[in-house]
Amino acid sequence: MPLDHKRINGPDETLPYSLFAKQSTPSWNQIFKELQKEGKRSDARGFLDHRKVFLKTGIVSQAKGSAYIELDNSKVIVSVFDPHEIPNRQDYSLKGEIYCEFKFAPFSCKKRRLHQKDNEENQYSAIMKQALESTVCRHEFPNFQVDIYALVLHNDGSCLSAAITAAGIALSHAGVPMYDIITSVTLGIQKDMILLDPNVLEQSLCSGPILDDTKNSDHGIVVISILNNHNQISQFYQSGMISLEKLNQTVELLQKACSDLVPLIQKCLVKHVIKTLKSSGEG
Amino acid sequence: MSLCEAEKTFVLHGVEENFRLDGREREDYRPMELETDIVLHAFGSARLRLANTDVLVAVKIEIDVPFPERSKEGKLEFFVDCSANATPDFEGRGGEDLAVEIANTLSSAYRSKHAFDLTKLCILKGKKCWKVYVDILLLECGGNLFDAVSLAVKAALWNTQVPKVHGVNIDGNNIELNVSEELYDCDRLDVKNAPVMVTVCKIGEKCIVDPSVAEEQCSVGSIVVAVSGDKFSTVLQTGTGSLHPATLMESLKLGHRVAQRLDEALWATLRQIKPGQDVGFLK
Repeated sequence: MPLDHKRINGPDETLPYSLFAKQSTPSWNQIFKELQKEGKRSDARGFLDHRKVFLKTGIVSQAKGSAYIELDNSKVIVSVFDPHEIPNRQDYSLKGEIYCEFKFAPFSCKKRRLHQKDNEENQYSAIMKQALESTVCRHEFPNFQVDIYALVLHNDGSCLSAAITAAGIALSHAGVPMYDIITSVTLGIQKDMILLDPNVLEQSLCSGPILDDTKNSDHGIVVISILNNHNQISQFYQSGMISLEKLNQTVELLQKACSDLVPLIQKCLVKHVIKTLKSSGEG
Repeated sequence: MSLCEAEKTFVLHGVEENFRLDGREREDYRPMELETDIVLHAFGSARLRLANTDVLVAVKIEIDVPFPERSKEGKLEFFVDCSANATPDFEGRGGEDLAVEIANTLSSAYRSKHAFDLTKLCILKGKKCWKVYVDILLLECGGNLFDAVSLAVKAALWNTQVPKVHGVNIDGNNIELNVSEELYDCDRLDVKNAPVMVTVCKIGEKCIVDPSVAEEQCSVGSIVVAVSGDKFSTVLQTGTGSLHPATLMESLKLGHRVAQRLDEALWATLRQIKPGQDVGFLK
């Protein structure tokens, strides 16, 4: 991939220093056993508890709509810009388009991310687009495109869900017509343990098998986005190795977790409305 | 190709009646043709024709240095090329989104250690490994690309011959590989659990597999499941629509069932292939 030479790319080959550290970090197996023994996670959450959520609208003054979401340490900014004509398009499209860009800030992960979009970011952008396409009333702005940019400031797991949830809020803040409030939740599976809203460590624990026995070696990450009032799944993504029964079970869990987020979003939006009303009353 | 409302209704009624446009039932596939070992310069290759979807997959291997954080693993990469031969839409950068989507889905499906074991591609820990390039060329698009691509990739990987490395000479920082000089002294890759993808398409109230181009246009949403062994290695929602949770579960079940049948059929076909058989349009 060609590099952007106007930016500081760093030396061609650098290694994270942690590789040279004494191998004192516990193995995945130890971490898993520890979790199992404790019965709760490192931040004292139960396995099926969502992290505390902080939401705020209107943090980017120049965007049409914007939202900021914090899931403890995961921090994502999403901004939505005015619709504009779809570029490089000859034929008239009856439905509006959505363009999503999901980006990790260079300093958001343990390893430095490059400015260019990598495969993971491309994939996340596509998933985000999939989730939002069925949320937005696209027939309301034919032949136009709405741009949505999500920027992860700090990655502590479940960033994609955070970005999708925040994008829903940013879209409504921008006044883009939508069918419903969209909420998204991530879930990790390792053997019989199900971890809702995993942080970055738990996410990597769930992304690979920890022991070599192939029996009961379920592991994986599931991301779901739901339109709650319509009870529709607008996006579903799973990776890893999960059996059918487990997947059944997780979908039910995730449905509930998603609906739990709805009141928070409603509250955030109502707050925004009250604020706007007050300021317009004064002016 | 675009359909008018009457044509769409006709397709939809056919699906309802369990008697599709070409006489198939909902769970039936169109006839497939599979050939392996047809590209001479590749280490393994396969061509799959599913009705009028045509996919050519070639596998190249090279020696590379493993990623420092995963020093015991080799590398596997997928590249999809949407040739403008397939449809004029692919001209220029037209097919890029689709290509990236397929490549990302494949790498996500092959990521788990139980789906494809990358540690077998390691030659010398931290120093040398095999890098497997899987190049996928879409020659003709007649719908259902994901399924066709995944089958062809699996067949090509099955066909791949990795040269045997007899020994390694280390002299300071110089590493010499002692690769077998016998032409046929090769190892096969283990693709027993390589995932098979099935696209489950929702048309009207019912779900079908192996949609043709016309059927793809009538669908409100589809799910791509990658099944490895009896577990899901990736599930991805595609298309613009959203699904009811019950539909999602139903399509997962259907995809799981069909993928296992498809995998069996693929193995039965692969077993029949005799080395040195002279077939195909490329020979």
